[in-house]
Amino acid sequence: MAGNTRLSVRDVRKSFGAHEVLRGISLEAEDGDVISLLGASGSGKSTFLRCINLLETADSGEIWVDGEQIRMVKSGGKARPASQKQVDHIRAELGMVFQSFNLWSHMTVLQNVIEGPVHVLKRPRAECVEEAEALLKKVGIADKANAYPAHLSGGQQQRAAIARALAMKPKVMLFDEPTSALDPELVGEVLRVMRALAEEGMTMLVVTHEMGFARNVSNRVVFMREGLVESSGSPQEMFGAGASPAFRQFVGNLNG
Amino acid sequence: MAAAKLSGNRPLRLLGNVYTTVFRGVPELLIIYLIYFGGSSAVTSIGQALGYEGFLGLPSFAAGALAVGIISGAYQAEVYRGAYLAIPRGELEAASAIGMHRALRLRRIVMPQVLRYALPGIGNVWQLSLKDSALISVTGLAELMRTSQVAAGSTRQYFLFFIAGGALYLILTSLSDRVFRRAERHADRSMPSATLGRA
Amino acid sequence: MDFAFLSSTMATLLEAVPVTLALFALSVSCGFVLALLVVWMRVGGNRTLAGFARGYIFVFRGSPLLIQMFLIFYGLAQFSFIRNGPLWPFLREPFVCAVLSLALCTAGYSAEIFRGGIRSVSPKELEAARAIGMSGFLLVRRILTPIAFRHALPAYSTEVVLMMKSTALASLVTVWEVTGVAQRLISHTYRTMEVFLCAAVIYLVLNFIVLQAMALLEYALSRHLRAPPAAKP
Repeated sequence: MAGNTRLSVRDVRKSFGAHEVLRGISLEAEDGDVISLLGASGSGKSTFLRCINLLETADSGEIWVDGEQIRMVKSGGKARPASQKQVDHIRAELGMVFQSFNLWSHMTVLQNVIEGPVHVLKRPRAECVEEAEALLKKVGIADKANAYPAHLSGGQQQRAAIARALAMKPKVMLFDEPTSALDPELVGEVLRVMRALAEEGMTMLVVTHEMGFARNVSNRVVFMREGLVESSGSPQEMFGAGASPAFRQFVGNLNG
Repeated sequence: MAAAKLSGNRPLRLLGNVYTTVFRGVPELLIIYLIYFGGSSAVTSIGQALGYEGFLGLPSFAAGALAVGIISGAYQAEVYRGAYLAIPRGELEAASAIGMHRALRLRRIVMPQVLRYALPGIGNVWQLSLKDSALISVTGLAELMRTSQVAAGSTRQYFLFFIAGGALYLILTSLSDRVFRRAERHADRSMPSATLGRA
Repeated sequence: MDFAFLSSTMATLLEAVPVTLALFALSVSCGFVLALLVVWMRVGGNRTLAGFARGYIFVFRGSPLLIQMFLIFYGLAQFSFIRNGPLWPFLREPFVCAVLSLALCTAGYSAEIFRGGIRSVSPKELEAARAIGMSGFLLVRRILTPIAFRHALPAYSTEVVLMMKSTALASLVTVWEVTGVAQRLISHTYRTMEVFLCAAVIYLVLNFIVLQAMALLEYALSRHLRAPPAAKP
C-alpha cells in the first residue's frame, strides 16, 4: 500500500442546534484503503461522510483531500467554506454514492453519467460519451444507456449512480449506505461492483450495514458510537478476538 | 352545469361542455358586451312587442353582474366537477350499501365532501370574479370615456382614483384569501395533519 | 342566419387578429423573462430583493389587470419626467402600454407558478449535482431549471391561455384588437349575437391552438415519465 494519504480528517465536530452529532472524529485514508464505517443510527456516520464533501459543514476540525486543505472561515459564529470554487473543486475529486441513488430523473442514464465531465470538468463531449459507455459496461448496464432512471430497477439505478461518480475520476469514493434502500436480491449486484472497484485500488469510504462487505472487502473497519470513533482496526481484529464489547454487541444486534 | 357534465345523458353533457368551454375560453369583456348590449337589445325588442317605442337599456351594473355570474358559474362548474370526481368511489358505494337512497346520499355524503374538495378552487374563482367585477365598471366607464374629453387636469384625479381602487382590491383579495384559508382549515379538520413534525 | 353579415363581420374581425396575436406574443415573452427575474429575486438569498419580489407578486396578482392597465396608460402620462424622458414616444403608444401592462401582470402570476415549480424539485437531485462539484449558475441552468420548468408547465399553460383572453382588455385603452373591433361593430349594427358569435369563435380557435402548442411542449418534455419502448428482442 502506497504511503499516499488521500484523505485526512482531524477532529471534526458538528452540532445540530443543541445536539452534538460529531464529537471529534479523526480519520486517515491512504491510497487504496477501503474503509467501512459502521455504527448504529444516530451515531453520526452519514453526517461525518457528508462533512467530508461539504454537503454538511463541520463546525470545527480540518479536512485534507489529497494534500489540499479545505479552507474555512468563521462568519457570524458559524464556520463555512472560504471559497465556493474550492468546494466545487474538492467535490469533483470526491465521488459520492447516495442511499437513494439521486439520479436526475429527466435525463437518460448516459446523460446522467456525462453531465459531470462535460459541464463541470469541461471535457469534450465525444470523449466523455466514450468513457461513459465504457463505465456503464463495467458496472453491467451498458444496454440501459438510453433508458430513463424510472425504468430501471433499484440495483441498476445504483450502479448507474456509481458510474456517474466514477466518470469524474475521483481520488476518493464516498458511499452513504449504498445498499440500504435496495431489495435484498438486488444488493448483490451493487456489492459486486463495489468489490471490483476496491480490487482495482480505489480509495473508498463506505458507510454500510453489510457485514459481509466490511469483513471481506474492506481493509479497515471503523466503528462509530455517539459521535466518536469507538474502535477501529483491520477486519480480522474487529470481527475476531480483538473486538471491543460495544462492537460485539452492535454486530450481535444486527444478526438478531 | 357540473351535474350536466357528469350525467350519463349525452345532449346534457354536450350542453355542459359548450357552456364551460365558451364561458371560460372567451374573454370576459366580450361576454360583458354580449350581456349588456345583447340584453339591452332583447329588452328593447320585448318592449317594442309590448308597445313601448324607444330604447330600453339594461342597467349596466345588472348586466355586468349577470355576466360575471355566468362566467363564474362556468369556472365553478369545473371546480365542482373535479371535486365530485375526487371523492373516493368507495365512500359512495358504502353509502349505497347501507341502503341510502340517492337523494339522502347526495345530501349527507356527496355535498359535504364536494364542498370540502372544492374549497381551494372556489377560493380561486372568487378572487377571479373579484377582479372581473372591475370590468363591470367598463360598461359605464366606456360611455364616459368615449363621450368626454379627458382634460389634463382631471388626469390627475384619475390616477389617484385608480390607485385607490387598486388598493381597495388588494385589501379585498387579501381579506378573502384569509377567509378562504380559515374555511379550508376548518373543512380539512378531519384529514390527517399535513405536517407530522420532522418526519 | 344572415350569412352575408356573418362573413363580413368575420372578415372585419379577422383583420384585427394580428394585433391580438402581437399583443399576446409580446406580453407572454416579456412577461416570461420578467417572471424569471422576479422569481430569481424571490428565491435568492437577498432579503430586500425577496421582499420586493413578494410585494410585486402580491400587487400584480391581487389587483385587477384593468386597473393596472389604466394606471399605466392614463397614469404615467401625469408625470413630467416620463413625458419629457427618452421613452415617451414609446410610452404614449396605447399598444406599448397594453403590452407593458400585460407583461407586468403575467410576470406576477408566472413568478408564483415558477416558484411552485422550484419548490417541487427534489433536494436529493440537487445534492447529487452539488456532490459532483456543480454550484451557482451551472447548477441552476443544468439541473434546477429543467426540472422546475417541467413541474410548472401545466400551471403555466393555464396562465398562457389566460393571457390570450386578457389581450381583450387592451381594447379599453384604444388598441384595435379583436374585442375592440367587435365592440365597435356592435355599437354600429346592434347585432350583438352575431358579432359575439364570430368573435367568440375566433378566440376559441386561438385558445385551442395555444392549448395544443402547450400540450405538445408538455409531451416533448415528459419522455422520462412515459413507459419505455417495447421490450428488446
